[in-house]
Amino acid sequence: MLNQDLIKALTDNCAPIRPLPHPAWRALVWFAVSLCYVAIVVAVMGVRPDFVAKIADPQFATELAAAFLTSVVAAAGAFSAGCPARPIWERLAAGLFFLLWAGALAVGCWRDVDAFGVSGLLSHSDIYCLPTILAISIPAAVLILSMVKRGAPIAPFVTIGLAALASTALAAAALRLSFRQDAAVSVCIWQFGSVVLLTGIASLFGRALLHWTMRDELIASFQAHRR
Amino acid sequence: MSELSDTSNDRESRWRALMASAQDGDHAAYGELLSDLFPVLRRFVVRRWPNAHDTEDVVQEILVSIHTVRQTYDRERPFTPWLMTIAARRVADAARSRYARGANETTVDILPETFDGDGAKSEQETRDDREALRRAMAILPAGQRQAIELIKIQGLSLDEASQVTGKSVGSLKVGIHRAIKAMRQALERIG
Repeated sequence: MLNQDLIKALTDNCAPIRPLPHPAWRALVWFAVSLCYVAIVVAVMGVRPDFVAKIADPQFATELAAAFLTSVVAAAGAFSAGCPARPIWERLAAGLFFLLWAGALAVGCWRDVDAFGVSGLLSHSDIYCLPTILAISIPAAVLILSMVKRGAPIAPFVTIGLAALASTALAAAALRLSFRQDAAVSVCIWQFGSVVLLTGIASLFGRALLHWTMRDELIASFQAHRR
Repeated sequence: MSELSDTSNDRESRWRALMASAQDGDHAAYGELLSDLFPVLRRFVVRRWPNAHDTEDVVQEILVSIHTVRQTYDRERPFTPWLMTIAARRVADAARSRYARGANETTVDILPETFDGDGAKSEQETRDDREALRRAMAILPAGQRQAIELIKIQGLSLDEASQVTGKSVGSLKVGIHRAIKAMRQALERIG
């Protein structure tokens, strides 16, 4: 297909489109919908009985807030990564809240050592955190995936990594609201560790999940005409 | 310098306006924008990937990519960085896919022609062909066989063959023509 023919073909397919809303706005929409779903999950699993007492604890409140903030800011970063030429800090911002979350957990570990000595760091196996976080995060992940697919796949690994972080951080926060798992080391290894592991694994599938396939088919059809 | 900057700013403003109209479905504005972008993108591809054999294909891939993600352009933001981010990504994608494809291909200087070239045949087929040709040549009159041997097998020119045989060039041409015709008929009978 000649260049002028291609331009004509594209021009003929130029239907009106609505520009994507700002990444922060899309992140808030995703977070609001996902939060409703998480609220239902927590209601079904049951809110931990000591919730009122725990939320008054600054370390727990900081940890929970950091998990929620990591989730929403990572979602904004994922949406930003699909919009070409947006500022790079938008993708990195989630890292600050992620570090805050890790810091809150580290403070928890320090308090356990202070209270129980080094034996306070001994962790019992809580392997069920991994499948639970995975199961809770799947609907939120599917929703965010369908939303990031509307963007441009220019940074697929980063986009999928941030989307996975947003979903799993939300699931981990839901777990903290339901389960009485307060040994900081266990939370650090089995909950925070699950988030890190799932995020890392998901980001490896970035190119498989976000690609130009439909676009490639279009290109192939144009180029077949050209030859 | 200031003039250059003014031109660049004018171009940026024009592209932003055209893209905004294109997002609203203005076909004429979109066609004008894509026509404007084509030479710019071609220069960009040549600069980024000077050894690309298929520059036009890569430029077309970029144009189609722009078309498919045009909803990601934010009218409040500059157009050129948006455009160049997509272009750079597509050039990198194209280079990677060409490299991956090239890694699975073997370059050969001469591709054997099917049926005609020995490289496309098994050893047995090659032997059979040679034997059939030998038998077809055996039935030729001595003069025609000599002409075939000198010109078609040894590769002499008509003048050189004329000096060797003492026959005229015209006579050799007629001899070759008749010999090939007779050999073709003989090969059809044999095979």
